[in-house]
Amino acid sequence: MPMTRVLVVSVCAAALFFAPGCSRPKPVVAPEVPVAPQEETAPEPIPATGGTAQVEPEPTIAPAQVPEAGIEGGELPTDLAELNKAGFLKNAFFDTNKADLRDDARDALAANAAWLKTHPTVRISIEGHCDERNTGEFNLALGWRRANSTKAYLVSLGIGAERISTISYGEEKPFSTCHEERCWSENRRAHVVIVGR
Amino acid sequence: MTRRLLSAAALAAIAALSSPTAAQEEVYLQVTSPGLKRVVIAVPDPPARIGVDPRGAGDFLSALRADLQSTAVVGLLEEERAKLVEVDPASPVLTRQRWRAVGAQFLLETGLTGAGAQLVADTRVWDLASGEVAYSRRLQGPATLAATMAHTLANEVVRLFTGRPGPFLSRIAFISDRSGAKEVWVMRWDGSEAQQITSHRSIALSPTWSSGGQWLAFTSFLRGAPQLFLLRPTEGYLKPISALPGVNSSPAFSPDGRLVAFASGPDGNTDIFVVARDGGTPTRLTAGRSIETQPAWSPSGRQIAFTSTASGNPQIWLMDAEGSNLRRLTFQAQFADEAAWSPDGVRVAFTTLIERKFQIGILDLRSGEQSVVAGPGNNESPCWSPDGTMLAFVSDRSGTKQIFLTDPVGVPRQITAAGNNAQPSWVTQLQ
Repeated sequence: MPMTRVLVVSVCAAALFFAPGCSRPKPVVAPEVPVAPQEETAPEPIPATGGTAQVEPEPTIAPAQVPEAGIEGGELPTDLAELNKAGFLKNAFFDTNKADLRDDARDALAANAAWLKTHPTVRISIEGHCDERNTGEFNLALGWRRANSTKAYLVSLGIGAERISTISYGEEKPFSTCHEERCWSENRRAHVVIVGR
Repeated sequence: MTRRLLSAAALAAIAALSSPTAAQEEVYLQVTSPGLKRVVIAVPDPPARIGVDPRGAGDFLSALRADLQSTAVVGLLEEERAKLVEVDPASPVLTRQRWRAVGAQFLLETGLTGAGAQLVADTRVWDLASGEVAYSRRLQGPATLAATMAHTLANEVVRLFTGRPGPFLSRIAFISDRSGAKEVWVMRWDGSEAQQITSHRSIALSPTWSSGGQWLAFTSFLRGAPQLFLLRPTEGYLKPISALPGVNSSPAFSPDGRLVAFASGPDGNTDIFVVARDGGTPTRLTAGRSIETQPAWSPSGRQIAFTSTASGNPQIWLMDAEGSNLRRLTFQAQFADEAAWSPDGVRVAFTTLIERKFQIGILDLRSGEQSVVAGPGNNESPCWSPDGTMLAFVSDRSGTKQIFLTDPVGVPRQITAAGNNAQPSWVTQLQ
């Protein structure tokens, strides 16, 4: 096993003094101790210091329950899925590690606000997304910030806050999956989804 | 494979096993400097005894040897050297002198007895330098638990040398997408026996153990918005403990297991909260417009390290456990996140960004010295072994995200392979 060999070699290098096991093996020369005549030796008695322990089985793992599905989950109704595919609402894109809105994001959201004003019953969810850079936990918080700064801007343009819900998916639901900037810039977005009409 | 591994300081850092709480015990290794040495221990075959379950005896011995060979603390005497020793049945003293002559520092003698389904292991560890018995113990149990008996014994042998039990019964909880969705899984510390815990087909994140191994907390999207759940892995019991507005992310148990710190908050503003494990209303610990996330309790329970963007970019900060006395801990150029306290409370490992790659930094709180565990690819999510001798982390060096272990000798080994695997959390044993 190559790994073991590397391990042993590096120990030798680091601690030559302390690791007699690293020098070349030599045949053992028995020290000159008078050897007692052959006799049947009983095993040496075991000192009682350590005591006795009964080994128990380790606990086993049970599958976690599956709670009933939440109301927020699940697929959109077909007509809403079609409506979202039609692309009436635009995404807002962000700079790396930023949650404040760029000019292009403000333009996109202004157009969204205009459309929402002409469709006053439509309700939306804003999903905050991140690229795969940074840790998953930090990106969850960053996506939350992006979703909410997007919501705040739409509210400032006159859209009722009660029509807008927000959620962060962090880096968990990327739109593009390559590991370079052209995908990362796609994934740093607030994604606007129609959830009611 | 590039090996630009641990700096000397990092070696010392991870290897520093001195534990004040174990001061009254006899500890053979006080590894506080870079010249780390492995104790050489010989584990000869036990004498064959009639009536001992041969399979159980074989399992016991192979598990014991594999365990003792697999940490930075002890190493088995090489086989070609062990073969040189001629056992003199008439003179155990002479035989021990021969073990010492071939380089063994300690000799682990095991007598296996028992009848039928029972196995009894009488073990003595001899300190060959002094000629004294350093450890003795009788373990007994069903022969089917031979491997568990061996892991129990190996834990104690490591404790003899370090003052802390070894990792051989420990488990790592993690997130894997190998089943098609991100679910919580648990495996043994060496990657074996991976078991899927959740089957929610949603997104599960950040599983974390209570230090006793009874509870796991994790974030899940299974009800739509992310919520915090508590899981009893041996019972399948699951309950939500926070559905606050916000991300409900990155849970961390207090050392006594009674509280869970996590990150959440309305209107895009994520802060650190704490909630009782038994339920109740979460209390907010931080306030401000910046992102505060990823709390980590110090082993004493007195402080919480966390990530904050208060200074502009993410850095590790500290506060007292009640939320007061905030101060900044890291001064990385761009990024520091995922603080993880070493079990002795002396070091904090974290994820940082160096030359456009994510790498793991280790900050020694006593000296202020910082070292970097650098390797190929991006490396993140550091997690200490319960005895503080190893780090688990996630690397994409192989093309997918996989969990690796590294110890002070410094050759990381990959312990997962199927799918992507991330966010390890390590506990001494299941309860």
